[in-house]
Amino acid sequence: MQVYDAPLRDMRFVLNELYSDDGFGALPIHAEFTPDLTDAILEEAAKFCREVLLPLNRPGDEEGCHLENGVVRTPAGFIEAYKAFAEGGWTSLASSPEWGGQGVPEAVGKLVEEMICSANLSFGLYPGLTHGAVCAIEGHASDALKAAYLPKLVSGEWAGTMCLTEPHCGTDLGLLRTRAVPQDDGSYKVSGAKIFISAGEHDLTGNIVHLVLARLPDAPPGIKGISLFLVPKFLPKEDGTPGPRNGVTCAAIEHKMGLKASATCQMLFDNATGWLVGEPHKGMAAMFTMMNAERLSVGIQGLGVGEAAYQSAVWYAKDRLQGRSLAGAKYPDKPADPIIVHPDVRRMLMTMRAYNEGCRALSGWVARALDAEAHSPDPEVRKRASDFVALMTPVVKALFTDLASDSANLAIQCYGGHGYIRESGVEQYARDARITMIYEGTNGVQALDLVGRKLGANMGRYLRSFFHPVSQFIEENNVDGPMKPMVEGLARAFGALQLSTATIAQRGMKDPEEAGAASADYLRLLGLVAMGYCFAKSTKIAGLKLFFGAEDKAFYDAKIKTATYFFERILPQATASFLAIKAGKTSMMALADDAF
Amino acid sequence: MKILVPVKRVIDYNVKPRVKSDGSGVDLANVKMSMNPFDEIAVEEAIRLKEKGAASEIVAVSVGPAKAQETLRTALAMGADRAVLVQVEDGAEVEPLAVAKILKAVADEEAPGLVICGKQAIDDDSNQVGQMLAALLGRPQGTFASAVVVEGDAVVVTREVDGGLETVKLALPAVVTTDLRLNEPRYASLPNIMKAKSKPLAVKSPADFGVDVTPRLKTLKVAEPPVRSAGIKVPDVDTLVAKLKEMGVA
Amino acid sequence: MNVLVWVEHDNASVKDATLAAVTAAGQLGEVTALVAGAGCDGAAAAAAQIAGVAKVLKADDAAYAHALAENVAPLIVALMADYDAFVAPATSHGKNVAPRVAALLDVMQVSEVLSIDGPKTFTRPTYAGNAIATVESSDAKLVLTVRGTAFAKAAATGGSAGIEAVSGTGDAGLSHFVGAEIAKSERPELGSAKVIVSGGRALKDAQTFQDVIFPLADKLGAGVGASRAAVDAGYVPNDYQVGQTGKIVAPEVYVAVGISGAIQHLAGMKDSKTIIAINKDEDAPIFQVADIGLVGDLFALVPELTGKL
Repeated sequence: MQVYDAPLRDMRFVLNELYSDDGFGALPIHAEFTPDLTDAILEEAAKFCREVLLPLNRPGDEEGCHLENGVVRTPAGFIEAYKAFAEGGWTSLASSPEWGGQGVPEAVGKLVEEMICSANLSFGLYPGLTHGAVCAIEGHASDALKAAYLPKLVSGEWAGTMCLTEPHCGTDLGLLRTRAVPQDDGSYKVSGAKIFISAGEHDLTGNIVHLVLARLPDAPPGIKGISLFLVPKFLPKEDGTPGPRNGVTCAAIEHKMGLKASATCQMLFDNATGWLVGEPHKGMAAMFTMMNAERLSVGIQGLGVGEAAYQSAVWYAKDRLQGRSLAGAKYPDKPADPIIVHPDVRRMLMTMRAYNEGCRALSGWVARALDAEAHSPDPEVRKRASDFVALMTPVVKALFTDLASDSANLAIQCYGGHGYIRESGVEQYARDARITMIYEGTNGVQALDLVGRKLGANMGRYLRSFFHPVSQFIEENNVDGPMKPMVEGLARAFGALQLSTATIAQRGMKDPEEAGAASADYLRLLGLVAMGYCFAKSTKIAGLKLFFGAEDKAFYDAKIKTATYFFERILPQATASFLAIKAGKTSMMALADDAF
Repeated sequence: MKILVPVKRVIDYNVKPRVKSDGSGVDLANVKMSMNPFDEIAVEEAIRLKEKGAASEIVAVSVGPAKAQETLRTALAMGADRAVLVQVEDGAEVEPLAVAKILKAVADEEAPGLVICGKQAIDDDSNQVGQMLAALLGRPQGTFASAVVVEGDAVVVTREVDGGLETVKLALPAVVTTDLRLNEPRYASLPNIMKAKSKPLAVKSPADFGVDVTPRLKTLKVAEPPVRSAGIKVPDVDTLVAKLKEMGVA
Repeated sequence: MNVLVWVEHDNASVKDATLAAVTAAGQLGEVTALVAGAGCDGAAAAAAQIAGVAKVLKADDAAYAHALAENVAPLIVALMADYDAFVAPATSHGKNVAPRVAALLDVMQVSEVLSIDGPKTFTRPTYAGNAIATVESSDAKLVLTVRGTAFAKAAATGGSAGIEAVSGTGDAGLSHFVGAEIAKSERPELGSAKVIVSGGRALKDAQTFQDVIFPLADKLGAGVGASRAAVDAGYVPNDYQVGQTGKIVAPEVYVAVGISGAIQHLAGMKDSKTIIAINKDEDAPIFQVADIGLVGDLFALVPELTGKL
């Protein structure tokens, strides 16, 4: 059974307790967002997710989307839910008040995003893509385009998409062929075919605004000749309401492994009217604004699904009676013990739990950096925050989604045969989570981004934004006491990370394939250290709270136990990653292509 | 017309209450608390009346601990205009009679045309406050409402009674208590949650109204209800028919 | 102790719920029954026959025709000068009137009494029946509503109490009765049915509910109930709902068909004397409270059962 109730206590811990000393400081612009207000926001979002979005998750998966006469019909209940979602102001959560948004800090917004993805990932994609489009338009479009489109996108009245992929080009966008021809009135005629366009066509909003990558006639070849265009489904009339239909149609929708309630469309642009967003031939830069925001969001999607899978597995492990505890019957009055008594089931539950709490703590840190990057009055802080976000974006995307797939699989395993049956609902999590490892740049591409672009950039400055707080924490806490084993474990893994960094830097300089061969393991290693740091910090805070007699004893106690599990049973994987990196590319590349 | 809506902070509807092992009450430590669901319906009804133009201002009031401010903020986020907390010590139980007396004093100050209460709180399940308040105010009561229509200086209330519905017409000011099917409360919108923070919330004490909240009922013990144990399973319909015959019902 | 009992009636006869209230009141002291109505001689005569009733007070006045709380509360308050306790059945009428009386007497009412453990000590359900509180009143007078399913019904005949007319307190002029829509049914009311057949969400739709549940109920002379899920899905109107948010019932036999047994449903029927459950899921929680369980497809089993009865 799909079970989900937002983990509000842990979310409040991440938001209010964990990062008071992260050096990003308080942001004057967010002064009004005191814990009582953010609690109220989180509580209401949790309620909406539990009562409206969750009940549509499985029916939406069963029904899927349907293309009828060029119109995509979303599953039953989605239109009403979307309307309530937009009316509730949730589409405009993190958008700027300038365009009608609520200006809620990302640190809160990311938690709400997580809840939405837990309750109904397919649903979450529709407003999620709109938010990406808002970021790109806000960052790069002309004032006239902003004024015409942002208020309607922010309010959720209209939706947005990003149209990158073409049949012959996915990861390598330099190959793309869609063309844009300038017109006398300053607009462009856009023609071409795009595939895998999430929310490309649907019945939730009155208009859909496509952000399309295309080439101008005078464009240089390759990635440097790509521009970004805004192409609406309906051309707005003078008064701003949707007018005539534009030359953009949905030719087909994909039949996918999962995420079935999200319409993945093949879009045809046939002399469609569009407007340039940003400079000619600088489309990739504009697209990357959107892409980076989306990559973090995809990481959060993974965390969301991982949490839902975990909760559904816990419910079953307590409900399913099978066998007796190895230590003797724990529930002698029942015909058998619930399977949660068995060590191997515990292993699975604790692993999922540690993944989720670790990822949530790390994303909370990144979200604070996003806020500081945008709003800190101190330019030094803004730079440091920006470095940290740049470094962590591929890590959040790839690590969280890898772990989410693991969690979804573990949840199925907890259910045994019932997990493989659709009725139980947990196999949906595995199918839905699977795409998060692929889209917005596969996890392999994320790892390359990390070692190729982020490690060496600015003489390792990005890396320092992370290494510095970790080494400082180890230094300050490496004293005798209950924290000692944890700090030592963190120091060991951190040492392996530093060594690996040096190894990749040296070998990669001479041979880029060495960096590529190390990339996936390196990303995992860095992610494990980051989660370890978050867990060690959490343990320290929880320990202090317990020492000073905090009310919420059970929560802090569980936090320390989960952290201990992470350090004893998960962090040792850092050593494996380290050894793999150390081994280098040879065995990976030795076999000739035609020997495969 | 002003509408007064009393709201109570109670254990969340989805939480299964656990009786403390010493029998002193129900364990509320670290339990999720929310607005009483019937009170949410009351707030919603008041907002709908305001949206229809039948009311001009909605005042939410709660008698409870400091944390009941959260409950009042929820009412403000749904659309109430201002709030009054009559604060009592954390853990103090204020009985319906005392709550009704406090509400009477608040109503005397605020002079609402309508008071809309939940029919009962899902913790003590007393189902008394609305009726008691009406009595103390010397005003009519429309309990267990499934429809509320304001007509001039009267309110027409459809009531859920055993076996069906009954409609009464009450002279305003009046007290209405809500039943489950009166409406479906809205979700608070994000802009309204943010606005709620700056809406006025006054904090008072029972002493400000001269009300003695000393309980009249002493709770001697709280226990789990008797557990029903599972019976037998019959293999087929014939055995079931035989059992029914044994019991004399077939 | 002198106890005044609120008689629920339709002017001609006395409603069943009154009988349990008389039993409860009898445990406190001498019982006087109050029949307030308009043209209520028949009801007063019926009340006088209830075993255990010592006296009947009859207040016959147009103002009491629909038992409006605004009108009957002053009458009761005036009469209470001579009584130590007021007991009403916990019906929608009783629950409407009693707190109004209590407030005017400055008494803290004890709601939904389950048992009387002493002259001022009672048990009552809280938290939707998940916790049973034992409370002791310190008020000079008592005001109680009593749960009908918790007390045996007093015999409707056998008594021979005297009937005394009392003068009314008139119309308070605050409220008036507009009309009523009482569902009419050949079947016994849920509140008083000896047997109840209830259907759940598994019944698929309104027509199937009709086709499967009603014939069985007809065979057993049973009232028909439903789970909240079935009501929410629109199979039957809301007044069929059994559970925490619907009716609390405690018949001799309760047959749950296709009902999984959500806590909120169990809260409404777990005091039934015998519970029979028919469900295809052998792990359904309903079987944890059922005395007799039958596992299988209800669409085959229920018609078979109906046929064999």
